Amino acid sequence: MPRAQLIDQFSEAAINVGAEVISVDSISAAADYIFAKIEGSLLVPSFSSGARFKLKSALKKAGVSTEVDNFRAVAEAAEGGITGVNFAIADTGTLVLESTAEDIRLATTLPPKQFALLDPGKIVADGMEAVKPLRQMHQRDSRNYIAYVTGPSRTADIERVLTIGVHGPKELFILLVPGLSDDFLEM
Amino acid sequence: MNKQRSKDYRQRVDQALATPKLQDALHQFGDAFLISREKAFAGHDFEALRGNISAMKTEVRENHDELLQQFIDNAKAAGTIIYQAKTAADANRYITDLAKKKGAKLAVKSKSMVSEETHLSAALEKAGIQALETDLGEWIVQLAGQRPSHMVMPAIHMFKEEIADLFSKETGQQEPAEIEHLVEVARNQLRQSYLDADIGITGANIAVAETGGIALITNEGNARLASTMPKVHVALVGIEKLVPTLEDAARIIQVLPKNATGQLLTSYVTWIRGAVPCAGEDKEFHIVLLDNGRSALAESPQCRDALNCIRCGACANVCPVYQSVGGHVFGHVYIGAIGIILTAFYHGLDNAAELVKACIGCRSCVAVCPSNIDLEEIILHLREKVGDDEGIGAGKALVFRKVMQNRKLFHTMIKAASFLQKPVTRGERTIRHLPLFFSPLTEWRTLPAVADRALRDSFSQKSQKIDKPRYRVALFGGCANDFLYPELGLDLIEVMNALDVEVYYPLEQNCCGIPAIYSGEKETAVELAKQNIKAMLADNPDYVLTTCPTCAMALKHNFVEHLKDNPAWAERAEQLSKITIDAASFILNQLAGAELFADLAKSEKITYHDSCHLKRGVGVWQEPRHLIEKSGHELVEMEHADRCCGFGGSYSLTSHPDISKKILQDKVADIQASGATCVAMDCPGCMMQIRGGLEKSDVPIRAQHTIELLAEALRNK
Ligand code: SF4
Repeated sequence: MPRAQLIDQFSEAAINVGAEVISVDSISAAADYIFAKIEGSLLVPSFSSGARFKLKSALKKAGVSTEVDNFRAVAEAAEGGITGVNFAIADTGTLVLESTAEDIRLATTLPPKQFALLDPGKIVADGMEAVKPLRQMHQRDSRNYIAYVTGPSRTADIERVLTIGVHGPKELFILLVPGLSDDFLEM
Repeated sequence: MNKQRSKDYRQRVDQALATPKLQDALHQFGDAFLISREKAFAGHDFEALRGNISAMKTEVRENHDELLQQFIDNAKAAGTIIYQAKTAADANRYITDLAKKKGAKLAVKSKSMVSEETHLSAALEKAGIQALETDLGEWIVQLAGQRPSHMVMPAIHMFKEEIADLFSKETGQQEPAEIEHLVEVARNQLRQSYLDADIGITGANIAVAETGGIALITNEGNARLASTMPKVHVALVGIEKLVPTLEDAARIIQVLPKNATGQLLTSYVTWIRGAVPCAGEDKEFHIVLLDNGRSALAESPQCRDALNCIRCGACANVCPVYQSVGGHVFGHVYIGAIGIILTAFYHGLDNAAELVKACIGCRSCVAVCPSNIDLEEIILHLREKVGDDEGIGAGKALVFRKVMQNRKLFHTMIKAASFLQKPVTRGERTIRHLPLFFSPLTEWRTLPAVADRALRDSFSQKSQKIDKPRYRVALFGGCANDFLYPELGLDLIEVMNALDVEVYYPLEQNCCGIPAIYSGEKETAVELAKQNIKAMLADNPDYVLTTCPTCAMALKHNFVEHLKDNPAWAERAEQLSKITIDAASFILNQLAGAELFADLAKSEKITYHDSCHLKRGVGVWQEPRHLIEKSGHELVEMEHADRCCGFGGSYSLTSHPDISKKILQDKVADIQASGATCVAMDCPGCMMQIRGGLEKSDVPIRAQHTIELLAEALRNK
């Protein structure tokens, strides 16, 4: 499938499950967007594409109040968390996050707002195609905690009414940043 | 003991049937589920997908020991501690001991049906450790002191007002009964517990041999928290969750959410392998692999397909019995069709004994199962086992063995019943145990009288003038056509003659045996199969026609199954199976005869009821519709055309008349709402049920067999 079509399909599926998909052209534009979205603090764990593009300082520069360590203590009070994305799955609008590092998990499970930086070049067609990079991750590391994230957290446990944001994030913002990374094994 | 058990069970049924609010909710859920499920599978080939899953799971079962060892080796290599629990008690003991050793006070649990199976929370509480459910539905059920009534939606039986009351008690303030607010209350109430907990307990949807890791398929995000925050993570996993590779896991993930809730994918799929980092150290990760009856299930050739289940819960969603009484009645811990089977193996046949009889046999579960499990067949097998263990009742056994196996006696008694019913009111029956004909008077449905002259006695008198017949076919009448609706058989002769087909009626034919199977009396069913094969093949018919799809299913499928290991009979059973066909399909497919009826009918608005055994038993639903339309009628579809009418033979007569009545009421309402003046069908059993229901509620809509409508049309010529 041509790349543009994959991006469209991914975006549509992600939006259908309640995520917001925003195209930006640089890390600093992403930081500006995030600044407009939160007032409280943002958990910023370390991940390679973020380090390469100096995400932490970009966020600071944009005026976002960031937390960069000691997440177990500060996560509860944070308003958001941001990570990169290893790759995405088009047909279901899914983000794949290699979350073995605990900070990635804390940043994506506890705060009500989840931000994700995705290079739109890293999208596979479906869950079957996702197996190849998934296996490579398993081959690279001996222990894994890998998350497929599709939209914000949800429940239909009361009278079958779909309700967003039960235990996990209530909002998911997917920022498409071209040129961020072309390595499916890297976040 | 059995008597008391039955009494308690009856009481639960009555109570559930007296809760229309629950039924409404489950009906709406069933409807909405089918719509979103269809959407989710748009562009996918469900049959191919489920074929793959079923083949893969079967392969797993066949190579279970090696795959399990591979899983264990890989898991250990990644730092996982493995415990293999033979029984539920073993699993609970291991986990409580571990909790005690850690000095744990609080364990947070995410949803796990296996922990419900072992009653883990009760075991932990007994050891002084609080086990807190964090899945919203599970938490609600825990607060209410109940058990889940659905495998995917544990609190589906509860309403927001009740939930608001429960939450108010927890928070100590009045919580308004608004769903969004209640979800927020749960978020806030449970949040701190993830941080405080010493242990996180989860289940697993999949265990991957290739990696030694597990996958959790969830929506709420609580499993992610329960597996991240506490220092110790215990995953309690049934050994049937094993798959060989990541591709196989991906196949399940592709299908499970679609078939469970109509989602393309759940919010989270979490792959966990080994002791991952946790607060600057390695997490202590235990996987408890639970057997608890699974190996025994794998040993049962008739039942072991049930191990292929991926716990989507769909078999309950579409089940008319579940929709009528809910999962607290139609289930033990596991609910619905699969619940019956798992209960028998994981919680003992005794706990399943009432449930195996509560299945009406409509096969709607079989049609939606993503693992292609023939749930009905397994349930019937278990019914037979319960019948063997507990006896099916002396009266019934006598009737089946002594009467039905002796065709002459059986038929004499039916005729005697016809004689005896004369002086009494319509519907009253005197010999109560014979299938179909003899049941207590029901206040909710009229019953047809046994005809004065059975079809077998009128048949030869009907002249058939065909010079050069294209085919000579034998009619398998079945009890209802023979003794209740002989006119249907005579109509069939007319229709067939008009198409140059000669029909004859082998007199040695007997009941098809399905009523015996449904009552757990297999011995009789096998004997009847032999009698019928002999009778039907005796004169070398070109085809064997049926007017009853239950009989068609018996001749096409059950006889072959019963006799496949009997060299004297197997081939003949196959032969009969091959030439047996329902009348409507025969007209359309073998005779290409639709044209003959073109626009002959006095046009009427007709709606079509799909009989369970015609649509899901022999895969026929378009043919009769086509013939009805072709003959000049206007066809209007009712809602839920293929939902069971509630007949189920002795189900409606003796075993579960109360549930049958509820299902019939639904059907009558759908028929009425269609605006039709006639409801057509291809099954005398459905005719009996639906006619009875329409008559009793004074609805002026007639219920006719497709063949009767075609004969009517011909008479207009
Ligand atoms: S038996 Fe089939 S339909 Fe029922 S829960 Fe299991 S997989 Fe789903």
